Amino acid sequence: MKNAKKSFYYLLTTLLILTFIAPLAWALYNSVAPNPGTAQTDGFGFANYSTLANYGSGIWTYIGNSLAVSVVAVLAVLIATTTGGYAFARYNFKGKNASFLLVLSVMMVPYAALLIPLIVWMKDINMQNSLIGVGIILALFQLPFGTFMMRNAFSGVPRELEEAAMVDGCGPFRAFWKVAVPAVRPALVSVGLLTFLFAWNDFMVSLYLLSSDKAPLPLAMVNMRQQVMGVIDYGVTTAGVVVLTIPAMILFLSLQKYYVKGFTSGAVKG
Amino acid sequence: MVRKSPSGTEGQGLRERLAPPRRVPNAVKEHEDVRASRGHQGIVKGPSRSEVLGNRLGWTFVSPTLLIIALLFIAPIVLVFVMAATKWTLMGGQQDVNFPENFHKVFADPLLMDSAWFTLKYTFATTFIIMPIALGLAMLVQESRRWNNIIRTAILLPSALGIASSSLLFYALYSPQVGPLNSILAKLGLMEQNASLLGSPNGALWATVFLVVWRFSGYYMLLTMVGLQAIPPDVYEAAKIDGANRFQSFMNITLPLLKPTLAMTWIMSITGSLLAFDQFYVLTKGGPNNSTVTVVQLIYKYAFETKKDLGMAAALSVIVLVALVVINFFMLKSMGVNDEED
Amino acid sequence: MTYIRPTRRGAAVAAVAALMVTGLAACGSDDNSDGANATSGDSGEVTMWSRAPLERQATNAVDAYNANHDTQIKLEILPNDDVEGKVGAAVQTDTLPCLLAGDVVRVPYWTQQGVFADITDKIDSLENLDDLAVGHIEAGTYEGSKYTLPFVQDISVLVWNKDLYQEAGLDPEKGPTNLDEFVDQAEAVAALNKDGVSGSYLSGQSGGALVFTLFPSVWADGEEVMNADGTEALLDSDSAAAVFDAYRELAETTNGLGAGSQEETGATWTAPFAEGNVGVMPYPFTSVSGLFDTADFEIGVSGIPGSTGGSSTFLGGDAIGISSSCQNVDGAWDFLSWLMTDDAQQEVFADNNDTAANLSVLKNGYADADPRTQIANAVIENGRTPASVNFNEAFNAAGSPWQLLIQNAVWGDDDSLTDDNAAITAILGQ
Repeated sequence: MKNAKKSFYYLLTTLLILTFIAPLAWALYNSVAPNPGTAQTDGFGFANYSTLANYGSGIWTYIGNSLAVSVVAVLAVLIATTTGGYAFARYNFKGKNASFLLVLSVMMVPYAALLIPLIVWMKDINMQNSLIGVGIILALFQLPFGTFMMRNAFSGVPRELEEAAMVDGCGPFRAFWKVAVPAVRPALVSVGLLTFLFAWNDFMVSLYLLSSDKAPLPLAMVNMRQQVMGVIDYGVTTAGVVVLTIPAMILFLSLQKYYVKGFTSGAVKG
Repeated sequence: MVRKSPSGTEGQGLRERLAPPRRVPNAVKEHEDVRASRGHQGIVKGPSRSEVLGNRLGWTFVSPTLLIIALLFIAPIVLVFVMAATKWTLMGGQQDVNFPENFHKVFADPLLMDSAWFTLKYTFATTFIIMPIALGLAMLVQESRRWNNIIRTAILLPSALGIASSSLLFYALYSPQVGPLNSILAKLGLMEQNASLLGSPNGALWATVFLVVWRFSGYYMLLTMVGLQAIPPDVYEAAKIDGANRFQSFMNITLPLLKPTLAMTWIMSITGSLLAFDQFYVLTKGGPNNSTVTVVQLIYKYAFETKKDLGMAAALSVIVLVALVVINFFMLKSMGVNDEED
Repeated sequence: MTYIRPTRRGAAVAAVAALMVTGLAACGSDDNSDGANATSGDSGEVTMWSRAPLERQATNAVDAYNANHDTQIKLEILPNDDVEGKVGAAVQTDTLPCLLAGDVVRVPYWTQQGVFADITDKIDSLENLDDLAVGHIEAGTYEGSKYTLPFVQDISVLVWNKDLYQEAGLDPEKGPTNLDEFVDQAEAVAALNKDGVSGSYLSGQSGGALVFTLFPSVWADGEEVMNADGTEALLDSDSAAAVFDAYRELAETTNGLGAGSQEETGATWTAPFAEGNVGVMPYPFTSVSGLFDTADFEIGVSGIPGSTGGSSTFLGGDAIGISSSCQNVDGAWDFLSWLMTDDAQQEVFADNNDTAANLSVLKNGYADADPRTQIANAVIENGRTPASVNFNEAFNAAGSPWQLLIQNAVWGDDDSLTDDNAAITAILGQ
């Protein structure tokens, strides 16, 4: 009886696992499987991937664009949230509460509503069609969460650590850099990782603000899908999905621990 | 956050202010500056030097954040209101102030009500499906065991994908040409082999909902799990001793204690769904026959597809912005009220 | 004194922050100058945009030019659905290419919005101006100034699958000459009841494909689809209703219209015929000429018939102009003037079974061409190019009132034609 119940449980959970994995597994399979109307018509092979590699300005351009946007976003978020989080955790300055509310209010405003003015504004500040500009815009949307997490992380570091450093002759900036920042490394990794995934996967901001040759990978893939009139090359589409997914998934899995920790220390408390 | 400073700090701050500064050695001096910089407003009238310093350091540290916000958040918000009141076409650029014509045009568009209604329908559908699934999954895999870790990882995997890339994946999956679903459904007699799953309004809606459930269940499961793990196990032990069964302890312990977490995940899901764009842009393009146009997609259509009118798009952006701020405000408020009731 | 150190540090951080800002601004202007280079042609390179459906012809033209000119054209292909958005965004970001080719029905709006540079003098100086396809020049004429020339002509023709006709007991050499015959022949193929085979096919959710395939039947009857200004739709005429009714009859016949016709967004609308699964349908000539040699079935070609027996075609394709922000107008014009010559038209279009935009080449250049190409060329003199500033929004855009009209007239309630036509007029006239 107990065994029957147990095997039923395993059967059910195995089905559950399959439901979530099946679409990904299918994409992987379909990208190398033979299909009419794709580059791979006979037998299994990587013809779809060669088509993908040669699409438009070449796949490496788009991967490069994606990396540029993501790295800029991560750097901007890390700089802004460590300094900002530290200020909110350690200092009492005029307008502190107002500033903190201002940071959180970024969360309240739907970013879809900001894109129309940004089309015009990015040109006004000489950052139109710029990967760096898009990276910083993506960073903006991660500021509330990141600042909140970094503030909590710094609050969890005993003040005595920096005070001891200052007794030893460090100035406040050295104490911040040499003592406080290393102490919040796990939070830094979570914020950085979440930002990277967010930026790597972004579609909408680049759709509004970047031209085709500056397109990051997701936008390039969506453009490519409808490249040929009247025909859709599903082989190359699924190959593109695989290429997009693999880096994100490797990062995600290898850093799952931090990811979970990030949520425990930040999001839920708020 | 800073208000918890030990009572000694104020004394030190006072003492430091009374004592001639030269007498204090450098290092100690700085050390006291840091302490002095917190929590003594109202005790001494007028800013002290250390207060000024704290102010300056605080502002210095917070400046990168504020710089980004001023440049890319506040400026665009101001601009969106200006644009909403201006005739401003995509290819012709800024022209004359025409308030409130852009708003008139937006409200006169029959697509506005259709898209608002569809967005609400979609939001209800996704939220009421994902949230129970996420809670169920979280309770299923909450205990840290080898097998559970495998299940958890599998469910979390789709969260690594972007919405656009998962939409592309499902676009292929739903296609009559290569997708496996058509032939399965055709064999079951549920549809014609060559018809498209995305071809009917209902098909397109539910196909998208399915994709979103697949993509987001793991994410919300994770958030819910974190909330579950914050409930102390001895509460359950005590309930067990009192003779409560599983259902009773779920209703009387888990749900109430999970309330803040649930409130947060619901708000996130509702806000996210109200702003849905990528999945419809990729999967349905708003079709068939405009039956799956969301409000945010309508902004895009105004700007780039039909009207090519940035003024109208900005007017609708303003409407969405105000609506979302109001909705969020009320949702947060209702969450706050709930907390007080507890 | 003790305060000096931190203050100086503070200043240093502020300086770093300031550097970061200027650094960013510098990066922004770098990008900007990149964009300017792309259009300025300092490097002897002129960028050109064209759209995906005409990629083959555009590539032929660019390759032929680049082979013996110093200035090189760099071709970039845009996805068909996104052309409007991409061009609009490029206007906003100052990244328009020097040469811009666009769907001829979109060109009036672009011209009116100032996307193109005025090249009236240059166009008027062309020796063979009278030979050039007039529709593509008129589409880009605004307030007496000329902005565009024909680039690729894409016409719609009626195509049928001779193998399927044979099987269905029809004469494979005789396509339909009026709408009744069209319906009869499609129904005969449908009655074969072969798996996956249908009588005809329609791209029900693609306004662009629908104007391209259905308008010619109205013109064939001598009727109009819009008034002369392009501000009023005339699609509730008897002639238009007869076209919609023909497709409605097929939609109600088993296998009459291919499965998926009602939902077809245009993404895969040419595929079923190319795969040999459709009896007879209106089709882009640029797509079918590529099938002449590759398809494993025989193809018949004729003009698109109306209800009373005439035939017509949609003179579509792309017109081309020089963008208003172009820095290298001479380089761009060199390509355009070359493309208009008889030799270039012969080499780029006629020799590839594509439709030339130059009447003398059309008349004389196809002696060795496939007879079906000659049939298609013969229809051109009856062909039309509709022009309206709001054409794209009224007809081409996803979910346009024209698309809804077809959905109702072919698959839905049959009684809303007057209202649906008025909805198109409301957009055209705004």
